[in-house]
Amino acid sequence: MRSTISAHGQVLTALASVALIVGATVLLLPLRAVIDRSTMALLYLLPVGLSTALWGLAPGALAAFGAFLAFNYFFLPPYGTLTVRHSQDVIILGVFFVVAVVISQLVGRARAGLAAAQAREREATQLYELSTALAGARQVDAIARLTAERLQASVAADYVEVLVHPALGEPARTWAAPAAPPRPDTAPSHRLPLTAARGTLGELHAWLKPPRAGPLPERVLRTYASQCALALERAQLAQNESRTKILEESDRLKSALLSSVSHELRTPLASIKAAVTSLRGDSTLWTDPPALDDLLEVIEDDTDLLNRLVGNLLDMSRLESGALKPRRQWSVLGELVANVLTRMRRATGTHQFAVDVPADLPLVPLDYVQMEQVFTNLISNSLKYAPAGTLIQIRAWAQAAETLRVQVSNQGPPVAAEHLDRIFDKFFRVTAADRVTGTGLGLSVCRGIIEAHGGRIWAENLTPPPGFAFHFTLPLLWEGASAASIAADPEVE
Amino acid sequence: MNTSPHILVIDDEQQIVRALRTVLTHKRFRVTTASRGDEGLARAAADPPDVIILDLGLPDMDGLAICARLREWTQVPIIVLSVRDTEAEKVAALDQGADDYLTKPFGIDELLARVRVALRHQALTRGSPTPVIRAGLLEIDLAAHRVTREGVDVKLTATEFKLLAYLAAHAGRVLTHQAILTHVWGALEVNHTEYLRVYIRQLRKKLEADQEHPQIIITEAGVGYRFMANT
Repeated sequence: MRSTISAHGQVLTALASVALIVGATVLLLPLRAVIDRSTMALLYLLPVGLSTALWGLAPGALAAFGAFLAFNYFFLPPYGTLTVRHSQDVIILGVFFVVAVVISQLVGRARAGLAAAQAREREATQLYELSTALAGARQVDAIARLTAERLQASVAADYVEVLVHPALGEPARTWAAPAAPPRPDTAPSHRLPLTAARGTLGELHAWLKPPRAGPLPERVLRTYASQCALALERAQLAQNESRTKILEESDRLKSALLSSVSHELRTPLASIKAAVTSLRGDSTLWTDPPALDDLLEVIEDDTDLLNRLVGNLLDMSRLESGALKPRRQWSVLGELVANVLTRMRRATGTHQFAVDVPADLPLVPLDYVQMEQVFTNLISNSLKYAPAGTLIQIRAWAQAAETLRVQVSNQGPPVAAEHLDRIFDKFFRVTAADRVTGTGLGLSVCRGIIEAHGGRIWAENLTPPPGFAFHFTLPLLWEGASAASIAADPEVE
Repeated sequence: MNTSPHILVIDDEQQIVRALRTVLTHKRFRVTTASRGDEGLARAAADPPDVIILDLGLPDMDGLAICARLREWTQVPIIVLSVRDTEAEKVAALDQGADDYLTKPFGIDELLARVRVALRHQALTRGSPTPVIRAGLLEIDLAAHRVTREGVDVKLTATEFKLLAYLAAHAGRVLTHQAILTHVWGALEVNHTEYLRVYIRQLRKKLEADQEHPQIIITEAGVGYRFMANT
């Protein structure tokens, strides 16, 4: 299609340049008597230069030849013939012809040079834009997509495809532009490897319209391919690096976990083992009820402790894998707190408890089992750090129509201000690890669960000291609704 | 009963099986064991037990599938064992026909209490149901629709009584939220646990001596409720 249009264009420009000469002849003819021949020859150079400048080399040459004929025919005596009478006129005609051809060639070349320069400039601008865009792209996805889109627009290709070979456990993928039309059935007109320092990362396929194929688009394609390959390589290297960092971090966490856990699991195991072996080894213990009771209590308490530890470990791994999704139900917070305290009765020792969770508190949408874990962990933490015999307070109130606020406070020592945030981090402990039991997981599990519920948890030192408090919030709305309407049921007194 | 009750334990953890066998035999139960699901099903058919203790985490079969297979031909009480944080699985097992559940690790006294309830319930379903249930100072006459506390009438709304009657008729056993909602409010309301919370709170206010520490209607975290009758 394009070639016939172009042929059409050539015929048109040829006709136009002929018309220009005809027009000039018609204009100049009445002046034949008053203007002398050499001036006339000069005037004829105007349409020649004009058609070369407007339409290029070939129309320019045609105009020069036409002008030569017209000048000879109409303006050199004898008029109306192509013969030349005076020897002087032969010189004029000869010089005119040479000048016309030279002008048309010079102007034509300048024009072609300008067009090429403009094309190169456009190409350079597009490449510059591509490399700027690629520099900002960090993901293989963005790089491949950008390359395909920009290249398609730049060379007006029917279809462009960027194939990225599998790397780093990611499968081979293809990006194409334009997105809408299906992939052509034919083989691509151009195939270029995406080659970087570390080898071939993929392939670039382009379907170009036939007349566009040639040295110019070839060069453009090669440049796009190498830019794309460089960007891909950079992205994959960066990905590699962050992967290595993540692995290192998780290795570090794992060894922290293992050392912490093996210590923590051994402590209760040691006392269980000691109690059991003494019961088996010394039969007189069986007739000493207080001693027997003590030993059995040690076994039961430490088994519960082990169970809590394992529970926190499991929750932590579930939180990290994103598997700990709250199964929310409208729940009565007071009942939950009372349940936790009943279950922890054995562990609470001589600590005193003051619970202020009003019965008329609205129902709270929460995962009952997970929230029990939160209270268990906060209370265990308070029991560990607050001196024996002191008071632990649990308060809850509706902070606003849509937010519940809970405070668990104790009379333990303050925590340095810079550590207040970090105590919810995994394995973070304010005191030396061997002084207080625990894996350093309890509070981070609390934060994980509260955040999964859409709440927030924080800690503060109470003034006046000594005193330390955990606070957390929970939304009272679930899917935009509160439970308030339920309590208004007319049958409920 | 003349012969000692027969308990079938289906669990693949040998230490648990060993402990259960020792304790239950000591308590004068007859104990048989199976370490795989298919073996358990075969044993249950060959020598029908009075109670089945079933671990949900067996190597060869899904615990829920075993419940369903058993329920195709027997109403023997099933107590399922599972670990913490598998509430959905517990509820599914209960809805699949299991009668009760225990979370590992559990105390043996808890297990014995569950076994006793299961045996009693089985005896009840064979004989005529007792129309009067006692819990603490409470007396519930299911036939007469009457609840008294220390001889004094307790006024309950129709829904409150329906809820209490359903719980009390299954005294000692855990009832899932879904089961209670379906039975008391109808299948359409099965997701409205908030109704249940509100009505349980109302019931406790009227029935419990200390509603902060309920002794009659016990909450089973994430699963449902259990009515504790006098034994």
